Amino acid sequence: MKQISSILVIAAILSPLNLIAGDIKLSGFATIAGGFTAGKSQVLEGYDDKPSADKSSLFGIQASSELGKGWSATTQFLARGVDSWKLDTEWAFLSYEVTDNWRLLFGRQRAPFYIYSDFLDVSYAYHWIKPPSGVYSLVFDVFDGIGSVYNSSIGKLDSTLHVTYGRNRDPAIHLGLEENLEFSNFFAASWSISHKWLTLRSSYSRTNLTVPVTPMQSLYDGWRATPYQDVADKLEALNDLADYAGLGITFDSKNYLLVAEITRVQPGNNILPDQDSFYVSVGKHFGPVLFHFTYGEDENVADRSILSSVPQNTGTPLDELVMGTQEAFAMVEDKSAFYTFGVRWEMGESTALKAEFTRYNNKRDSANNASLLQMALTTVF
Amino acid sequence: MKQFSKSILIALSFFYVSISHADLVIIVHPSNPLTEISVDDVQKMYLGKKKTFPDGKKAIPGDQPTGTESRRLFSDRIIGRSEAKLKSYWSRLIFTGKGMPPEVIGRDVVIKKWVAQQPQAMGFIMRSEVDDSVKVLNLKLSTSW
Repeated sequence: MKQISSILVIAAILSPLNLIAGDIKLSGFATIAGGFTAGKSQVLEGYDDKPSADKSSLFGIQASSELGKGWSATTQFLARGVDSWKLDTEWAFLSYEVTDNWRLLFGRQRAPFYIYSDFLDVSYAYHWIKPPSGVYSLVFDVFDGIGSVYNSSIGKLDSTLHVTYGRNRDPAIHLGLEENLEFSNFFAASWSISHKWLTLRSSYSRTNLTVPVTPMQSLYDGWRATPYQDVADKLEALNDLADYAGLGITFDSKNYLLVAEITRVQPGNNILPDQDSFYVSVGKHFGPVLFHFTYGEDENVADRSILSSVPQNTGTPLDELVMGTQEAFAMVEDKSAFYTFGVRWEMGESTALKAEFTRYNNKRDSANNASLLQMALTTVF
Repeated sequence: MKQFSKSILIALSFFYVSISHADLVIIVHPSNPLTEISVDDVQKMYLGKKKTFPDGKKAIPGDQPTGTESRRLFSDRIIGRSEAKLKSYWSRLIFTGKGMPPEVIGRDVVIKKWVAQQPQAMGFIMRSEVDDSVKVLNLKLSTSW
């Protein structure tokens, strides 16, 4: 599905008609980022204490073309340092302008979960090197399907309603392993209203999810061999109904910046934990320089009630399963806080240099605490 | 309470763009029936939020290259964002396929010539460059938040 829609869109862009008309618009963006942590055993955002420069670096090219009668085709290719600079189609969609205010998108596109979802890879478009990973934590962010973007005015307010429906079947890295995840009947909507520099945003999403967790398979099998098979059924994330909700605020004036987001993920009744996250970021401009500070917290809580029907301390092999399951709960649970001091410097019209210091404190296991220093050069062209 | 609202007013005025449009003017084709336009509308049209003039007719706003005095004044005083912030604003829309910025036509002289030939056009130039090939729109300040 992904392949087919990408090929269709690329074919539309490169159609002979367009080559003759020569109206393909190319735009690009790039981030060269590097960093290192403060101590030998510290790992954060993929960085360790050895300075490296390819973890967040990326290079993107977008081609778009007007096809006439309100139709246009857009595709974005992305090469990431972390994937050995392999070129991949990030998205590809056909868009149809129904009216001046209403646009339909067909194909592979970004899901409108967060404030910065739409331009997550374009670091130049926001103040950090990357948005806080606690909130920006969902395992997928693009889907294949249909989207509708409707802009309108409500009195003095500008309103944008973005509604999407589709699915995602891309393999993804989850808990450190590549797994065949499946998100079907995926629905997401966001609504933002803005006036001048102030924007309020809310988003909601619901999907059926299947998330195999390979290391848990033996645990599922174990439970299925007991009279408590329903525990296995509950633990397994198989076609479960998951919900996501987020709220956000942006105040972005000439001199001041305030951004905050709060999100809740409820992946359904299974081994995957509920996630609550928020961050608040403030900044002040001094000419071409923006100083900013961000604080955020994340908490992952497992649904331990799954074990409530099972007798404990029976002196049978059941105890081992109970213990193994409790360990699994502890493994997916987490509680942490972070703060980031950062600076963004406009070096001319379309390039910005950024530097950030982040301190991460894990409230469950202080051995995971870490400090990270990062620098990045970001540009659009 | 009075004290309170006064301090709110002072606080708000800090965020407010102080517009001195003495030097910069908004121009349209002489056949355009409009005589004035609000800063709000100009902002919306140049930020891609509005595609028509206040009378509902299709509008094509034209831009100047960055670095000209007119472009700097326009970003700063009328749009209320630095040129860098404006670039960042558009990069958000471009890379989501949600919109393209107004076309860069050229400096004062070039954009004036373009507006003079294009009935749907709109542009901005220094007042000193105005002649009767184009029509100047009076800028109305936005009065409320």
